[in-house]
Amino acid sequence: MRVVIAEDLALLREGLVALLRENDIEVVAQVQDGPGLLRAIAGHEPDLAIVDVRLPPTFSDEGLLAAIEARRRQPDLGVLLLSQYVETAYASELIGENTAGIGYLLKERVGDVRAFLDALERVAAGGTVLDRQVVTQLLTPRGGAGDALSRLTVREREVLELMAEGRSNTAIAESLVVTPGAVEKHITNIFSKLDLPACNDDHRRVLAVLAYLRVAL
Amino acid sequence: MPLLAAGLSLGQYLRSVMHRVAALTAVLLAAIWALDGQGYLWPAWAWLGLAVPVLLDYTAGWAWRQAPGAVRRVACVWALAGVAAVILLLTWLLTWLLAGAREFWPAWALLGVATAVSSYSLFALHDRVLVAYGRRALRARVDLLTSTRRHVVAAQAAELRRIERDLHDGAQARLVALTLQLGRAEMRVADQPEVRSLIHDAQREARLAIDELRDLARGIVPPLLADRGLVAAVESLAARYGLGTEVDTATHRSLAPAVESTAYFVVAEALTNTAKHADAQRSWVRIADEGRALVVAVGDDGRGDADARGSGLAGLRARVEALDGALSVHSPGGGGTILEVRIPCG
Repeated sequence: MRVVIAEDLALLREGLVALLRENDIEVVAQVQDGPGLLRAIAGHEPDLAIVDVRLPPTFSDEGLLAAIEARRRQPDLGVLLLSQYVETAYASELIGENTAGIGYLLKERVGDVRAFLDALERVAAGGTVLDRQVVTQLLTPRGGAGDALSRLTVREREVLELMAEGRSNTAIAESLVVTPGAVEKHITNIFSKLDLPACNDDHRRVLAVLAYLRVAL
Repeated sequence: MPLLAAGLSLGQYLRSVMHRVAALTAVLLAAIWALDGQGYLWPAWAWLGLAVPVLLDYTAGWAWRQAPGAVRRVACVWALAGVAAVILLLTWLLTWLLAGAREFWPAWALLGVATAVSSYSLFALHDRVLVAYGRRALRARVDLLTSTRRHVVAAQAAELRRIERDLHDGAQARLVALTLQLGRAEMRVADQPEVRSLIHDAQREARLAIDELRDLARGIVPPLLADRGLVAAVESLAARYGLGTEVDTATHRSLAPAVESTAYFVVAEALTNTAKHADAQRSWVRIADEGRALVVAVGDDGRGDADARGSGLAGLRARVEALDGALSVHSPGGGGTILEVRIPCG
């Protein structure tokens, strides 16, 4: 896997580069701003770009805009957006019309190295990975009638969040310390409560969840 | 009676007759003196006598036109004193011209009259003088407080934004780097469960710290507001409440951070209240830029009867008033709720 990193804070950029190299992932370029990202992608045609949302010079959503532009120029490019906060509007803009090869994670997820590397693999392979906070934010009860959360149990919500991250049943079971059978039961319940068509393929499952969430977006 | 026919009152008619008689008499005496050989200017004394009632008439009229009460009383005293002073001066002028007087004999009398009248005026009007002085001082104070408060509020908002940015680039970034390093360390001690568990705990603490900092930063200024401004932030907010909230925003200029944040939190609080209490089918948000003021209105078609003194609204009101704005709630029972906020902005 060949990766470009766009991150302006040296401390994080260097940490990420070291982490990836230790795990035999090739970092072909490290840049600090949006134009740098576009140049690096044109020059290296990487499989994946890891992009910080806030980049110079505006330190607002430069990274997001650069990532969207990069995907327009190279549609098969996987983009993993890293941010210190989750903003569902950004997730929906990044996803646009094409859900393949998109990830949106909170920065601190890099601490769980195995899960983070899994996410990189999935995004590079054309999967979709959404931070569990995206789900939380979309399902946070506002007291209005018919909010989806009231229909899910706490455990089911946890499972849904992990599903949004694109994890397999086994990984979800491991993470929640339950049996894979229990996870399957929860998933069946979630799908029936949210009126989603049942399916077992991990990626298609994320898409189904995503489709549901986009109604809410 | 031609003057009465012209619409004059009896008093005005008599005054005008008096003025004419006085003028006529003065001219007549002057003519007699001229025909009589023009010796000693005796008509001057008669002129003086004739001038006094006319003078009194004018000054009394002026005094009577003053505001009733202490001011009119003081004006009457000044009118009388003025007439007396004129009589004294004219008399002295005549004695000097006609009789060769050497001394300015009215000096002491004039001084006495001036002192007495001034003392009386000060005594009668001292409260007014003090009030006028106090009012001026108060107005200056209010002006000063208004401008310093405006500066303080603006500076505070700018400072909060700076703190938010510092948190983002400083403490939060370092904590993220810390979890990353801990993650790398954890990979290297895969065969030592005890060390792994310690590292795991450390990571959890770091994550909690990051969560807390994130909540803190979001409370200062929500990321979307900082990144894209009021319109985008309000649209995202409205979408999240699932009330089918219609958003109508008509402001495109960049607003001061204090105004922007306050407007945002007004909408957030109003929508939260709508979702929690209003039992509404529809809601709407309207943001209008009226040039000198930003007007934010949030409404719903719910049950109305909102508690305008609730703690959430009280907090908002304080925020809005700190910007010299006004907050009003219109919420008749069964008739929906409209919360409107008007914030002055340059």
